Amino acid sequence: MKYDINKIRNIGISAHIDSGKTTLTERVLFYTNRIHTIHDVKGKDGVGATMDSMELEKERGITIASAATYCQWKDHEINIIDTPGHVDFTIEVERSLRVLDGAVLVLCSVGGVQSQSITVDQQMKRYKVPSLVFINKCDRSGANPDRVVAQLKEKLGHNPVVLQMPIGLEAEFEGVVDLITMNALYFDGENGETVRIDEIPVNLREEAEARRAALLETATMFCDELMEAVLEETEILPELLLNAIRKGTLDRSITPVLLGSAYKNKGIQPLLDAVNALLPCPVDVVNEAHDLRNPDQLVRLEPDMDKPTVSLAFKLEDGQYGQLTYIRVYQGALRKGDTVINVRTGQKIKIGRLVRMHASQKEDIDMVPAGFIGALFGVECASGDSFVSPGLNLAMTSMFVPEPVISLAVVPKDNKAEINMSKALNRFTKEDPTFRTYVSEETGDTIISGMGELHLEVYIERMKREYRAEVTTGAPRVAYRETITQKAEFNYTHKKQTGGSGQFGRIAGFMEPVADEEFVFENKITGGSIPTQFIPACEKGFLSCMKKGPKLGFPVTGVKICINDGASHSVDSSDMAFQAAARGAFVEVFHRAKPVIQEPVMKVVVETPTEFQGNVMGALNQRRGMIVGTQDEGMMCAVEAQIPLAEMFGFSTVLRSLSQGKAQFTMEFSSYRQVPQSIAEEVAKKIQEEKSNVA
Amino acid sequence: MTLFTSKQGNVIQLRERNLTMLTRDLTMRNPLRLLDDVKDGLLEPGDFGAVSSRSGGGKTALTVQLALNALLQGKKVLHISLNDPVEKVDLWYQEVLNQMAGQYSEIRINQLWDMLLPHRLIMTFLAQGFSVATLEERLLDLSKQNIFTPEILVVDGFDFDGDCRPMLEQFKGLALQHGFHIWFTVNTHRHEAPADNGYPVQLGNLSDLFKTILQLKSGDGPVAIRVLKYPEGASPKANLVLDPNTLLIQDPNS
Repeated sequence: MKYDINKIRNIGISAHIDSGKTTLTERVLFYTNRIHTIHDVKGKDGVGATMDSMELEKERGITIASAATYCQWKDHEINIIDTPGHVDFTIEVERSLRVLDGAVLVLCSVGGVQSQSITVDQQMKRYKVPSLVFINKCDRSGANPDRVVAQLKEKLGHNPVVLQMPIGLEAEFEGVVDLITMNALYFDGENGETVRIDEIPVNLREEAEARRAALLETATMFCDELMEAVLEETEILPELLLNAIRKGTLDRSITPVLLGSAYKNKGIQPLLDAVNALLPCPVDVVNEAHDLRNPDQLVRLEPDMDKPTVSLAFKLEDGQYGQLTYIRVYQGALRKGDTVINVRTGQKIKIGRLVRMHASQKEDIDMVPAGFIGALFGVECASGDSFVSPGLNLAMTSMFVPEPVISLAVVPKDNKAEINMSKALNRFTKEDPTFRTYVSEETGDTIISGMGELHLEVYIERMKREYRAEVTTGAPRVAYRETITQKAEFNYTHKKQTGGSGQFGRIAGFMEPVADEEFVFENKITGGSIPTQFIPACEKGFLSCMKKGPKLGFPVTGVKICINDGASHSVDSSDMAFQAAARGAFVEVFHRAKPVIQEPVMKVVVETPTEFQGNVMGALNQRRGMIVGTQDEGMMCAVEAQIPLAEMFGFSTVLRSLSQGKAQFTMEFSSYRQVPQSIAEEVAKKIQEEKSNVA
Repeated sequence: MTLFTSKQGNVIQLRERNLTMLTRDLTMRNPLRLLDDVKDGLLEPGDFGAVSSRSGGGKTALTVQLALNALLQGKKVLHISLNDPVEKVDLWYQEVLNQMAGQYSEIRINQLWDMLLPHRLIMTFLAQGFSVATLEERLLDLSKQNIFTPEILVVDGFDFDGDCRPMLEQFKGLALQHGFHIWFTVNTHRHEAPADNGYPVQLGNLSDLFKTILQLKSGDGPVAIRVLKYPEGASPKANLVLDPNTLLIQDPNS
């Protein structure tokens, strides 16, 4: 096996739901001879696409967990991460992007840039991932690649450069014109495996010339040599042109656009060529690690096999033979028999078995060099852990993890189910940082929380299928919070004199709202009215009240406490006394600081044919939704609204029935907002009821 | 702040004041009211107003300020954009509001934003497919279900270069029927001389439809706001400018 780092491509394929990225991946694997027959996502043969290896995914026709696979195309090695499309699984998308060097964004030629594409694109921007665009489904009726290109410009702010031109569209879609070599490409054979190069049809020649001129104009910006060639009107070599486009692609100033139809087996081979020619290899991308001894310092990593190893575990899977850890090496190499250190735990780990993954089949290898993606067997770790050579103290960038917004009680049916459930939960929380679990102190129930209804639903299904844990679930609960809206002062004395040593502490100051911070503690005491050794106890006392708000028992956020006076007693004051004083002060002052309940509000985007727009807006409005705007795009329109998560349960059913199944929606967390008075009362009542039920 | 005219030196602890005070404060300080003494602004139901400049001259910034000013007075604004997506328009409002209320705490601005949002609706259309009939259909959808009844319309990106009188007359009918007034942005071009009546050439033959016409003139410094036409009885102050950095309206004399 060769390790030529310039010929490696780590790419992701991401897109909106149903844009056909799994179908596309399937074709890629077929043309690179990784698989020998093509199965479709919702195919009649019941096998399902190769990448969708989880039973649940096959059944629902959506990709949940990303599987990593590798293939070879014309002496380049391509690692592909199939990323999930649903917004509830954004963490998977983000994690994938961290380990990728480049991406292919699949857009539907009919649907164009849809809401999820925007989310994905923002994530790509955040991680500065260079990308190609593949406009899929050119065979569908209503296909309009030019409109999609215009949307790329307007909605995503890309600078698209079209490298191909369709030969026919919709049902007449036959192939593409390659504007770089100026040839027509047709895809022959039962599965489109033979690429036939032909002359451009006469009727398209003029348009092709015009489009090529536009392509050249953009490309010359990135290469002086090419500029000269154009000005002198000498022959322009395809390599020169490709190099210029590559330069622009790598710094994300242009986005090459290709087109085709994965389902009809058209345009896939040129896409693979473009991946090889235009997307970065690991050397082209700057990767940085955090130096743990010096937190602000970023260390640049070099993909050099002889340097000390730095690698990142980005995904875990529970296999038949124990835990499988997907890992990307950024510097050095992981070799069989090496010892590495898990930076988070400090544990030493000896590398036993290294494999390369192809969906659910594995292939043993001896080494994973820098830039490559592989998998480890039997290593205990959580996803996001960094593995480094002994002596190094580097961690890969910590990944941004959003807080869960919805929770749900799960109750196992019997004893066996309980054991299996805890096994399953243990595994899931390690795999997915947005999925959390805890035991409620009041009810004793196990609570799971995550990023949306579907997110939790999927885990419950997996519990049933993979772990045989039969559970019943309670109604989903929204993660409310408490906060204050006003400044209020406190002056509280804690005094106890009931035999034994007494307790005394007086604490004074004020509480005020603070934005974007959970808790801020400020000590403004001068002259030692509270001795310095008791200050941490005060802070601890206040902090202990933040977990359970005095109003309804929800977590408290956005509070700043400032203490500026107090009193102590030489004998009776203690850490305990001041903690109690702080707790007392918090409860007392909280009610005077005008506390309110806040709820998670989601940004919901509904895409619907225009004839249902009125109904959709009505439905959104009924759910305490605030409609931000509507966007007309010919046949389809998008309605954007802000809606409390609590009102979104069961929305998918409502939406389906009012739009004859033609509308779809995506939602993501937007912000916490104050709950209106009437609703707050309802929430309070419900909590009262629950409390009395338990008692 | 130069935004104050008569209240300079009158320092108030703004943080402690509640939201109603804040909104009143923002409207009082808004130099927009200097454009006209009439409390409800320059236009009455059924009227048209125009803001004209070359592309990039600050039309959207000014219309968004007009809209925010109306929002602060508790009016409902429907913003129709024929070129920008919803997100971008929304961002304009957030930016301008942040600039206007810059010296308040973040918490207060957020509260204010939450209060204003339900009164604003953005609609975007593709410029080619747009017709007043579609708009009317949408408006009917909204009012029938009691979701939104606008009091002011902002139409950004309407193309005045062709023959648009028939469409504007449809707009007029809509405005009279629903009882709102409309602010249009008018894109002018560098090479064009003004029409004989002194208005931008696009409005030369349409000026009878418009009660108020504002023109933005950018030079090296601040962008001057020229009031080309105003309703009878109004006495607009003629020398307001847009700050070239923030694009906020200012009174250079204060």
